[in-house]
Amino acid sequence: MSRSCSRAGTLGAAAAGSLEARWTFAERRRRYGVATVAAPAPSTRAPSFALPSTTGGSVGLDDLVSGGPALLVFASEECPTCALALRRLAPIVAPLHDAGVRLAVVFEDPLDVAARVARDTRFKGTVLAEPAPYDTSRAYGLDTLPATFLLDRDGAVAGTAVGWDAAALSGLVGEACAAVGARPPEITGEPPRTKPGCAAKSTYDEEMLALIESAGAADEMEDMFERGWSDGLPVVPPTRSRVDAMLAGRDPRRSLGDVPPGMGEATLERVAACAVLAGCRPEYFPVVVAAVEAALEEAFNLNGQAVTTQPAGQLVIVGGPVAEAIGVHSGMGVLGPGWRANLTIGRALRLVVTLTGGGAPGRLDRSTLGHPGKLGFCIAEDEAGSPWEPLHVERGFARDDSVVTVVGCDAPLSISDHRATTPEELAHVLGWAGAATWSPNWWPLGGTSVYVICPEHQAMFGAAGWSRQRLREAMFDAVRKPARDLRLGETTPQVHAADPDSLITKWDSPDDIVLLAAGGEAGRYSAVLGPCLGMNSQMVSREVAWST
Amino acid sequence: MEYVSPFDERRRAPEPLASRRDTLEGACVALLDITKRRGDEFLDRIEERLREHGADTFRVVKEIFSKPAEPELIRRIANRGDLAVEGLAD
Repeated sequence: MSRSCSRAGTLGAAAAGSLEARWTFAERRRRYGVATVAAPAPSTRAPSFALPSTTGGSVGLDDLVSGGPALLVFASEECPTCALALRRLAPIVAPLHDAGVRLAVVFEDPLDVAARVARDTRFKGTVLAEPAPYDTSRAYGLDTLPATFLLDRDGAVAGTAVGWDAAALSGLVGEACAAVGARPPEITGEPPRTKPGCAAKSTYDEEMLALIESAGAADEMEDMFERGWSDGLPVVPPTRSRVDAMLAGRDPRRSLGDVPPGMGEATLERVAACAVLAGCRPEYFPVVVAAVEAALEEAFNLNGQAVTTQPAGQLVIVGGPVAEAIGVHSGMGVLGPGWRANLTIGRALRLVVTLTGGGAPGRLDRSTLGHPGKLGFCIAEDEAGSPWEPLHVERGFARDDSVVTVVGCDAPLSISDHRATTPEELAHVLGWAGAATWSPNWWPLGGTSVYVICPEHQAMFGAAGWSRQRLREAMFDAVRKPARDLRLGETTPQVHAADPDSLITKWDSPDDIVLLAAGGEAGRYSAVLGPCLGMNSQMVSREVAWST
Repeated sequence: MEYVSPFDERRRAPEPLASRRDTLEGACVALLDITKRRGDEFLDRIEERLREHGADTFRVVKEIFSKPAEPELIRRIANRGDLAVEGLAD
């Protein structure tokens, strides 16, 4: 097993040119004379191993051959021939399995990388991982990847194939199937029939490994994109030390539940990884955890929100002392850029949904347009400046409780009003701005409208002594139309059933209007957020496990 | 560099596919209405066509279209039906 190609082409682009010139495998061997172990001779017992599997636990040689012969492929992430081999072996995994022949791959990579490459190549056989120092690869005397060993039911080596060699691999498959009296599945005859492999990492000297590591580090951000650990923006790589700092001693295995739509399990460690990726500081983590817990409650129906063609994002509203303590912004530009805690806490929740939960846009997330808030959507209320009690108090918590509330909603629609002179007038304007949300003729809405009321608008209501409830009722009463004027396009069954002259309201009840107090002190711009409808999705609040 | 994956890397064993039928004649077909608007109209027409081909049919209805089907409903489809057709969207 000596045929190999340079691995330099798989390194970071900046380093590849110089490394290719300096570090071809042959050159490295000439310089360093790296010792390799002789491959196990035919008919001798193959070296034993026990390696972690992507399905959990470890798998050893005896496990592989317990039911019959096995094919053991060694591969690595960076080797294009390995990817070709796995893609082409993928279709025969199931027929071989049915015949009693196990097909396994050992990656010279960490387990998560092995799982990703297997997923990308649609390889559904046994996937094992062996990071450095590659003792198993060395024991099998590898020079080149991919390398395939046919192991008989006694665990002895019955044949080998190196690189992509369709004829040789067909021979191994044929021998394996003959041993169990099964008809061998065909390996594709599509060209190339042969393709040289790459040098096994187990043959690298320490200097070479260090070079690869540093080249990889230079491209760490790109690596995150390649792994799919992103929402389209650069992320902070979730190194072990960063994730441990985020966890701050919490049990990494504690489960918050399965995340729809793909039902990946939200262990605290994975949630912490998402928080790191999002750019959270460790002190934000209790809020992220509470937001995930709230979003996973049945009443929130995250499954529906995650897969719908609607634009639904998940707005996180942080209330109580934790908001100010960790810097969740409630003032100028609250719905826009510039506020790390807001942007990264909201983003962490979205990454839990899209990565851990598998709700990636264009895949399980079928949103027709999406909206910018689906990157991350989080605000606090201006509890000190507001004339009203904060939302969490209205929802039954104490003012000093720290609470996260999540609600599914569309993007904000700005409402300019610099002319109203009475609270009645302003309530009318705010209410009618919400009239066109979802669809102009969809009355009653059948869901929740979230309003963000700016300080100057708050002040008008505060000066007049209007409570939240009074404002809600005034907005509700202001927005009515005869059924006949709502019978164009998308209309509700209530509109169809109503007498043409009867008045229909935009909401079923004033309680469908949620009012938040936030924004910059100057400028009379409030906003209404479109709803997430048709899935009985409720607003959910959850206390944050946090203390000063 | 060791990274902590945000993905749940556990692999689930693929569910085996039921055997395929060559003909609709005599087949019992579940028609799953997920309660999306006009899904029932779509299934009415499919039902007509299936019956023209000699299939028998029965309806099952999800409580709400935006949540996964209840296991009991899936069991009913599997126990009684040879095939299933889902009226997916509006």
